[in-house]
Amino acid sequence: MIKANVIEAARSLMSAKQRTFLALLGIVIGIGSVIAMVSVGTFVKEEALRQFTDMGTDVIRVRQDYGEGKGGGGVMSGPGGLHLSDIDKIPAECPEIGEIAPYIAVYGALRYHGRQMPAPALGVTSSFGRLFRLPVTEGRFVSDLDRYMSFCVVGPEVAAAMRQAGAKKLIGEKLTFKQRIFTVVGVTPKVPVGSMRPYEINDGIFIPITTASRFPDRPQIDDITARMVPRGRAAVAVAQLRSFFANNVPSFRPRVTSAEELIAKMEKQMQLFTLLLAAIGSISLIVGGVGVMNVMLVSVSERRKEIGIRRALGASKRDIQSQFLVESMILCFMGGIFGIGLGLGSSYLIAHFSKWTFSISYDAILIGFCVSAAVGVFFGFFPARQAARLNPIEALRSE
Amino acid sequence: MMLELQDIYKSYALGAVRVEVLNGVNLRVDAGEFVSVIGSSGCGKSTLMHIIGFLDTPTSGEYVFEGRKTAAFMDEELCQIRNRKIGFVFQQFHLLPRLSALENICLPLVYRNQPEATNEKIARQVLDRVGMAGREMFRPGELSGGQQQRIAIARALAASPSLILADEPTGALDSQTGQEIMNLFLELNREGITVLIITHDPKIAGQCKRVVRMQDGTLREA
Repeated sequence: MIKANVIEAARSLMSAKQRTFLALLGIVIGIGSVIAMVSVGTFVKEEALRQFTDMGTDVIRVRQDYGEGKGGGGVMSGPGGLHLSDIDKIPAECPEIGEIAPYIAVYGALRYHGRQMPAPALGVTSSFGRLFRLPVTEGRFVSDLDRYMSFCVVGPEVAAAMRQAGAKKLIGEKLTFKQRIFTVVGVTPKVPVGSMRPYEINDGIFIPITTASRFPDRPQIDDITARMVPRGRAAVAVAQLRSFFANNVPSFRPRVTSAEELIAKMEKQMQLFTLLLAAIGSISLIVGGVGVMNVMLVSVSERRKEIGIRRALGASKRDIQSQFLVESMILCFMGGIFGIGLGLGSSYLIAHFSKWTFSISYDAILIGFCVSAAVGVFFGFFPARQAARLNPIEALRSE
Repeated sequence: MMLELQDIYKSYALGAVRVEVLNGVNLRVDAGEFVSVIGSSGCGKSTLMHIIGFLDTPTSGEYVFEGRKTAAFMDEELCQIRNRKIGFVFQQFHLLPRLSALENICLPLVYRNQPEATNEKIARQVLDRVGMAGREMFRPGELSGGQQQRIAIARALAASPSLILADEPTGALDSQTGQEIMNLFLELNREGITVLIITHDPKIAGQCKRVVRMQDGTLREA
């Protein structure tokens, strides 16, 4: 019976090719947009979380809370900033903290061979490279022995700009940043960034933190990233850091965030974002579904006589209903298959042009199949019921 | 006894007016009979056939089919009777143009949930029975009127019914082809199938063992 229904439905769909094609188009676009939207949501989420797969989730970020800045002072820091000597005490006083990486961000113009580009510089310690898991493709990273020296490590963007300007070998080249000449000692590759890894990692250069603190505008340390000891507990570590700053640097108002908190917050945001995208896709799916309903209603009214004949020969209401339901489900199922293709194709293009990593979201494909079947049943139900409810005598009389 | 109609009334609401089509019809048909119902057009013959064929229900009265009162039957039961007990033959053949002759014949069997091979075997047998062997793959549009009516009769036979209900089966055919179709019905009746033909043609009615006339919504033996 089901096989007969499927054959019959396929035959009927084939006999009205243009109508079938148009109904199919609506469903293809609908399913395609749901899949593309859900996939894009997944890409964005994966992109945001990628920094943690590199860095690990046992990191904690401490920042100056500018909500209520208060004057402090010292050689290395501006008002409310931190002393390197204070920061060095953290691992000893906070047992849950294994390693720390303070950094200073300085913004200025970078000049190379007469070309000028705005670029940030990060004043870092050697622990920065380890903590942020930054590989070095050429040369070496900033060392603690580089105190006050004019050495720099260039990030991928600056390295690319230098190569474009004609540099063959980057190590040993000279750059000017804020009227100071720096010698390149290393190159880092592009890495995923986000709320834990600052974007300057890819866009700028790295210089020793001691050198950075000597720029005339006295930039201050107000950002520290810490890694916990193995099997450290984030909540305990956060509490220890808070009490450390309260006891040792009362002028600094820390905002302490663990990677776990960040991920949880981000996932919540991403969930909303994906939901929003799915909702946009669903609207086009509903439009497609209404198209299917329309086609099915036309099909029912064109085949009134056939329905009458079938009823006279012993088809029950249920038989007629399932015949038309199968037809709309086949329509939507085919639309689903093409729609999945369209959705994956367009999400690939979106990923390609946005420089995100493309991955096939099997959830999205599953959603595509389930939703297309559901659309087929939902929008096919009304026309099928109408067909089943036809009075056989009236149906037989119709032409 | 095949069927018995006891005091059947049928009326329709036509806007605000009620039209009485059947006014107390009584009819008893025994198994193996060949009966024709004759009457002018619009006298209610077709309504009577729809009621006998369980496509319609009477407004009042009792319809007993093969010894069972049918008034309380639900849709599913009526479908079962139409599917297994009654073979319909219509004036306009009512074949599905998309389907081949064989597929048209299989149509009532499809609703029985039996293997396709069984259906096809039955279909080939009845196609042969009506003298249409070799035309399995022809579509209705490729066949003449008489041939189409033979396919329609084969479709009715495929269900191996105890009753064949034919509504003006020769009405769309020329007289020679009509006679051939009548001969086929006569043969089937000789094999034991009860046949009830509705017609306005006295020549057709004259070949039936029993003729009843419908007039003013009632039946009288002619």
